[in-house]
Amino acid sequence: MATTPKNRFSQDERRRNADHVSFLKHKRFRWLWIALVLCIVSGLGYVMIDQEPRPNGGSWYGYTLGTIGLGLIVWLSLLGIRKRKMTTGQWSLKAWTSAHVYLGLALIVVGTLHTGFQIGWNVHTLAYVLMLIVIITGIYGVIVYATLPSTLSSNRKELTRAQMLEALTALDRQLESAAQPLDRDKSDLVISALEQNVFYGGALARLTGAYPGCATKRALASLPEHNTADGAEERVRSLLAKRSDQLAQIRRHLRIRALLEIWLFIHIPATIALLAALLAHVVSVFYYW
Amino acid sequence: MSFLIRTIDFTAAGREITRDRTLDQTEVSIGRASENDIHLPDLAVEQRHVRLSDAGGGMLAIESVGGLGFGIDGRTETSVEIDPNVGAELSLGSSRLAISRDGDGPVEIVIKQAEKDEGAGDALQNFALASALPSKRLMAWASAALIVVLLLSVPIFTHLTREPVENDPENLAQGQVLFDATWSAGELSLAHHELEGNCEACHATPFVSVQDETCLTCHEELGEHAEMPRLAEGMAPLSTGDSIQWQIAETLGKEGPLGCVSCHSEHEGPVKLEAATEQFCSDCHDELDARLSKPSFGNAADFGKKHPQFRPQFYTAHFDEEPTRVSLDQDVSEMSGLIFPHDIHMSDNGGVARMAMSIGKYGAPLECSNCHEEDEDGVGFAPIEMEPACESCHSLVFDRNGPNFRSLRHGDVDDLMADLATMDRGPSRAVASGRNRPGQFARGGAYYTNFGRPMSAYIAINRALEPTGVCGECHIPTSTNGRRDLTPVNLPDRFLLGGYFDHAAHGDDVAECADCHAADTSDAATDLLIPDLESCRDCHLGETAVQTEEITPSGCAMCHGYHTPTMPWRPEDHPSNDGNDSVAAILSSLRR
Repeated sequence: MATTPKNRFSQDERRRNADHVSFLKHKRFRWLWIALVLCIVSGLGYVMIDQEPRPNGGSWYGYTLGTIGLGLIVWLSLLGIRKRKMTTGQWSLKAWTSAHVYLGLALIVVGTLHTGFQIGWNVHTLAYVLMLIVIITGIYGVIVYATLPSTLSSNRKELTRAQMLEALTALDRQLESAAQPLDRDKSDLVISALEQNVFYGGALARLTGAYPGCATKRALASLPEHNTADGAEERVRSLLAKRSDQLAQIRRHLRIRALLEIWLFIHIPATIALLAALLAHVVSVFYYW
Repeated sequence: MSFLIRTIDFTAAGREITRDRTLDQTEVSIGRASENDIHLPDLAVEQRHVRLSDAGGGMLAIESVGGLGFGIDGRTETSVEIDPNVGAELSLGSSRLAISRDGDGPVEIVIKQAEKDEGAGDALQNFALASALPSKRLMAWASAALIVVLLLSVPIFTHLTREPVENDPENLAQGQVLFDATWSAGELSLAHHELEGNCEACHATPFVSVQDETCLTCHEELGEHAEMPRLAEGMAPLSTGDSIQWQIAETLGKEGPLGCVSCHSEHEGPVKLEAATEQFCSDCHDELDARLSKPSFGNAADFGKKHPQFRPQFYTAHFDEEPTRVSLDQDVSEMSGLIFPHDIHMSDNGGVARMAMSIGKYGAPLECSNCHEEDEDGVGFAPIEMEPACESCHSLVFDRNGPNFRSLRHGDVDDLMADLATMDRGPSRAVASGRNRPGQFARGGAYYTNFGRPMSAYIAINRALEPTGVCGECHIPTSTNGRRDLTPVNLPDRFLLGGYFDHAAHGDDVAECADCHAADTSDAATDLLIPDLESCRDCHLGETAVQTEEITPSGCAMCHGYHTPTMPWRPEDHPSNDGNDSVAAILSSLRR
């Protein structure tokens, strides 16, 4: 195909845009504008339409907002299915994700107006709160996906995860042999440090980076610093310090990973719980009509 | 610098074979080629791969010879300096070379073969947060199942399997449906507060909106605003939007704009039912005559601007069986059958006032409340009874028998005749004996007098039924079948039928009785003392009027009820009149 360089440039630019523009900026924020329009129209309708006796999910406008909200929630949750089927073009996954984020944000306005600001201890408010949890975790997810990956790669210092573990095992092997001359109680400290799982600590430890039961740290603290008299002990100590540094790097990695991933552990189960609560909400409203 | 090379191998049986050799040189070469100081027969290792050399200061330099990297403490490098006293692990291919030194001794290099498969692949899984948390899928399904079971299935199941009970306002027991409180969109109004735990009392049938029939199981005595279909005919036409809405709603089983729930929306919190707005009434009543043939009342939209004249009911002629409603715009006179000039009785001076002052019961000139007692509801007045109200002054004593006085029985002409017939029997004396001046008490404290002509009281009583007789003081004598009789007293129970006037709200600090009822200037009982529309408008104008010190903006609901036009609907046996539950309701409203 004969193309002038200029056309070629714009063609390439289109491709580059398609491939490299963030889903947030997709098509010049098309879905942001659509979401904004939805919010403004919903808000204007809420203010201008006189609801008798007061705005509430059961007025005709309330039902309208509720139907829009329900449709949005169901569609937004379908991202979980859609993302497993990659396609390009009009409904590329990027377009879908862009719409997912912005329409999800618009849901705060649509959902809140649907409640008519009537909140209580009931299945309806449960659905609303679950929706807010899903949206808030989603916002968190967008933010950490934008900021944390660079921290993750700067922490790696050109090591792969496997190399981090390998480095630790290498240190462990050296520790094993270096600790041979040590007496019983000090050997036990080394054993406990070696036996402790690299991934010791629960989700909370990963998120906070606090490992109060770290055996390496304990062993390090029990060996006096600069004990030049005993060469073996000094060697074990410096190996333990290296082990501790290596562990710290792994744990920083774990922490960033945890911060990056934790929202999905709330976002996804809360979405499914939300769908169940929505079912209960809609059925109960019409069951006890 | 010298090096101690220790090679550790394993026999087929697993026995460890250790070989040591010492190299006294400053450099050690490692590679696959056999001329190397350390010969590693491994295809992954270069012919001449790594050179170890003394870097001075006790440090050991490790450099790649061919440019291919080597593993040092897990990292891949091409050139590093290490402190052998701290130690390091050099990895080349499948070999692990542990480098260490004890003080100033030789650099020790222990060569081992790497153990196969250290599970690194599996270990990488541990980097994901998923390894430290329950699976998302498990959490999702568990929470969804919990919600569907507890908040949906249990209420539906218990609702479908409950034993239906008749609603009974006396016994609003707890409902049988479990967990349906979680379905409640908001607290019920104060009036329905007792039903809070009994959803199925109103929500009787699944997927069917609350039906009027269900409301009426408790509210059966509540009046219709108007009979159907006249009510529907009088209703203002719906706007297009409303009409579409109602079409949809009625398709789905709602009872239409005249159903109970279209006005009485519930679950709006523990509030009192709000009075309808003026607009709500004027929607239909503004031009009611355009839709209804012969409405029995005029159009109304705003009390100050558009409201028909009052049409109180009263007896317009003696002997009428029923009272008649007459507009106050006409010349009205009330035929109650009584002779009662209000002005004489209410005057601060004159005979009546003097007499009232001298009677202990009053002790002062008469006030309205001496005869007119308010009903408990503050709206109407109790019927006036002759004995407590009139007889204090208008005594019917006609005889004295020892220390006892005898009074004519009041209320029935036959009784009166019988009493009169006994007069001549037994000892009697002139009742006026011993009296010198009018106004004094006779013996025994009872007061009796002659209001008629200056003739003996005895004769007045004897001629009681004649116009000049004692009955004629208040009643109009007549004759029935040739016999003397009295015109029956005809006073309606209520004058105003279409609305109610809250006397309690117009207490002493607002107005005196005479401000509205011109009793102090009324010299005949034929004066109808019901104030007209104009006099109300001195203070009350429509809902949209501006509130001032004199003007009170007044919506329709101030005087009219939708279901009970003559008074606010307030049945005595209403469940929420119980003390405890209203406290609960007030508390819950305070909590809000």
